[in-house]
Amino acid sequence: MAGITIKDVSKNYGGKSEGAALSGLNLEIRDNTFVTLLGPSGCGKTTTLRLIAGYLVPDTGSVHVGSRLVSSPDNVVPPERRGMGMVFQNYAVWPHKTVFENVVFGLRIRKVPMEQARAQVEKALALVNLTGLGNRLPSELSGGQQQRVALARSLVVEPEILLLDEPLSNLDAKLREKMRSELKQLQRRTGITFVYVTHDQAEALALSDQIAVMHGGLLQQFGTPHEVYAKPANRIVADFMGLVNLLPGRVQVLAGKQGLVVTPGGMNLELDVPDGTKLGDEVEVAIRPEDVTLRAAAQGTAGNGTIRELTFLGNIIEYFVTLGSGEELRVQAHPSQHFETGQRVAIAIDAAHCNVFPRAVPARLAA
Amino acid sequence: MATPGIAAEMDRQAAGDAAGRSWRALLSLENLVMGAAVLAVIILIVLPLCALLAGSVISDEGLSLTHFQEVFSSRLYTQALINSLILGAWTGLFSILVGVPLAWAVSRTNVPGKALIRATATLSYLSPPFLTAIAFVNLFSPNAGLINIFLRDVAGMPWLTFNIFSMSGLVLVTVLHTFPFVYLLTTTALSSVDASFEEAAQILGASKWRTALVITGPLVAPAILSGTLIAFVNAIALFGSQAIIGLPGRIITLPTRIYSLFDYPPEYGLASALSLIFVAITILALYLQRAFLARRSYVTLAGKGARPRLVDLGPARWAVFAFCVAVFIVAIAAPYLTLIAVSFSKSWGINFWQGLTLAHYKFILLEYDVTQRAIKNSLILAVIAATVAVVLGTLIGWIDLRTKLPGRRLLDYAALIPLGLPGIVMAVALIQFWLRMPVALYGTMGILLLAYVARYMPLGVRSANSALQQIDPSLEESARILGASWGMTMREVTLPLIRPALFAGWLLVFVPVIQELSASILLFSSQSITLAVAVYNLYETGYTEPVAALAMVNMVIIGSAIWLASKLGGNRNQSAGVAN
Repeated sequence: MAGITIKDVSKNYGGKSEGAALSGLNLEIRDNTFVTLLGPSGCGKTTTLRLIAGYLVPDTGSVHVGSRLVSSPDNVVPPERRGMGMVFQNYAVWPHKTVFENVVFGLRIRKVPMEQARAQVEKALALVNLTGLGNRLPSELSGGQQQRVALARSLVVEPEILLLDEPLSNLDAKLREKMRSELKQLQRRTGITFVYVTHDQAEALALSDQIAVMHGGLLQQFGTPHEVYAKPANRIVADFMGLVNLLPGRVQVLAGKQGLVVTPGGMNLELDVPDGTKLGDEVEVAIRPEDVTLRAAAQGTAGNGTIRELTFLGNIIEYFVTLGSGEELRVQAHPSQHFETGQRVAIAIDAAHCNVFPRAVPARLAA
Repeated sequence: MATPGIAAEMDRQAAGDAAGRSWRALLSLENLVMGAAVLAVIILIVLPLCALLAGSVISDEGLSLTHFQEVFSSRLYTQALINSLILGAWTGLFSILVGVPLAWAVSRTNVPGKALIRATATLSYLSPPFLTAIAFVNLFSPNAGLINIFLRDVAGMPWLTFNIFSMSGLVLVTVLHTFPFVYLLTTTALSSVDASFEEAAQILGASKWRTALVITGPLVAPAILSGTLIAFVNAIALFGSQAIIGLPGRIITLPTRIYSLFDYPPEYGLASALSLIFVAITILALYLQRAFLARRSYVTLAGKGARPRLVDLGPARWAVFAFCVAVFIVAIAAPYLTLIAVSFSKSWGINFWQGLTLAHYKFILLEYDVTQRAIKNSLILAVIAATVAVVLGTLIGWIDLRTKLPGRRLLDYAALIPLGLPGIVMAVALIQFWLRMPVALYGTMGILLLAYVARYMPLGVRSANSALQQIDPSLEESARILGASWGMTMREVTLPLIRPALFAGWLLVFVPVIQELSASILLFSSQSITLAVAVYNLYETGYTEPVAALAMVNMVIIGSAIWLASKLGGNRNQSAGVAN
């Protein structure tokens, strides 16, 4: 079994006083899953990955692989004795070795007989669709092909855990999409535990069994893609996972978990509120652009918003709607639904899909 | 979990980060090799310097400043100090006057013959300064100099004769070796100033010359000053030309004064004190140079894409070209042709071409028993010293860039100290240290090797550092995670990738070692004599023509070594001028 258990791990790079790179991380990565560490740069995701790999020593806490302790402040099993694989952002394909020599490297270290090694390399190259390119030098390959060499090099030694550090970020959009689905299939086929670092939320949603959203050295939420998208644990996660409108409001009516939130613009939203919410609390409502429906304002009524700007994106039209209270709402609509700039619209919000977060700081825009 | 092959591997810690966590880890190959590098720096540089310091303040009465008092109160020493400073200042000034126009012509104008200018700068840097000095003595010594004889006896213009044994002569010969420093740094700066800076000034109405004066000039001024200070430091450290030209002209400088203190009875204390003053000057100059260089950062802003614009000089380019040719003639053509002519002439003089002979080569190569020994010694020493310097440099660079070893920056600095040590000072420090040690190293090839490795280790460190910086650490990390030990990663990934740069670094050390005179002159013995010392000794004894023949042999060896090494190194030619 090769699950990874990270317990209370902190890491502070020397000299930096303004907060640790990683503080008090607890994470349970199950065997045979595709787990993504997601967050903006500086959030601690790469630090976490390098701690798992053994390139860094934790300041506190421990990392177990299965039941084996691999990292603690006094004892770190070096990377070469962890039996993991790692794919780097810049591929790290050795430029002075051919594709074959790159891939066979790990097998040579494991003293696999040459005949067998050759067969295994062939198999690994086939797995990443590079059959027949064994004699090429990396400089003769495209970026996507180099990335696949890096993958094959890690896979050929049959690691139980594969670490991937933003492996697709240097590829162009089309290739990225293609490699994305290949990676996912690869994980399903091999049963290897993938720990994948990225700052691209779309990539994380598409690939992962579970996503660990990180920010400021802290784990914000750990859950399935659907959970982190639909039920973000806090405002930071909601903001990071896709586009979101954050509207201020006040809890007007409270009945168990149900509450009625009124926005300054006078919209009433009936929705679930977090535990501990009290009557009269200032809150923020997170509304996804796709959960807003626009209708032309009925004849004679003022409606409750004005189209300020629109952007045609092909499959959708994005509207920026100015509300009566002055706030702006980003709305995504089907292209068949067309409004003009300046047009008055009525707004309907699918409250069941919205989330409410406590508003810690007095909102600047509150009426 | 891991395959058996991996588990069987020796227990090794993750790079640096985990160093010092267990005894087994401490004894790993990685730590042993790094420990050896640290030890080498201490023995080669730190301890001799401490011995030099101790030697300068310990006299018969115990701890005292007597030596320094004597140095500052006696005209013998203050005059040497003043002469060195005068020499350095004039050399610096003329290095600018020669180096900057050449740099500007090459990187900013459409002057013809740019290859010639580049070759002139490189060859001037590579030429052993004492050979240039000897060549100019053959042309301009007051009585026997060929050009002086011609001017006085044939042309009847005695007022045009030039006495090389003077401060002007010394400056002339020294500048020929030091202007490449200014040239090189200025060229680099000029070619990294983006044309858009200048175009922005011109669109605002500034003329071509005004732009050069108020935009380009200030942008590259730090580089020029920095090059000048390096020229200064190198100029005052050259023992060869200061002995060959200064001594007959009664111009005593710091290196020659220190040298004379080793005449019997040797004055070790005084020599140490004078050496320390010498070091202080050098270090101050290098400190200023670093400060200037640090301000240069804005020049590189434009990055790789910078395309400097070439100025169309019109007919004036032929005047600029003439200047470049003049530099080539004085710096390269005249000295080399002179040495060749002298080496083949029966007796050097106005009618030398009437009796051409190979007798001097025969004498040098077959009859003079020192030559073969000196050639053998020099080749052995240069090969070993270059190899050791590059290996140590690689390890130190690796420790600095790839580990978290405490004190690694200090190690890096310690390895760069020799840049501030004139050769003769290095020799004094080594003598002071090894005379106190129970090992009889003085007078052997061993002490010469230590001197060479220590002096030129900075070049090894620099080459390795810049090479390692270009290799992303992930290339090494990916080998580690696949199960490769530190040694395997070095052998399979790191070393193959930096090999071309290491070859260049090797050459960068080999060439100066084979012509090293400043430290060798104090450290050699009749058994460990080197090529440069042999040339100098022969010159001292007054053999004009055989000296020239030996000088040519010297040049052939240097030339073929460069050719061979660049062949082996895969033709990766790095400019030798980055030495300092």
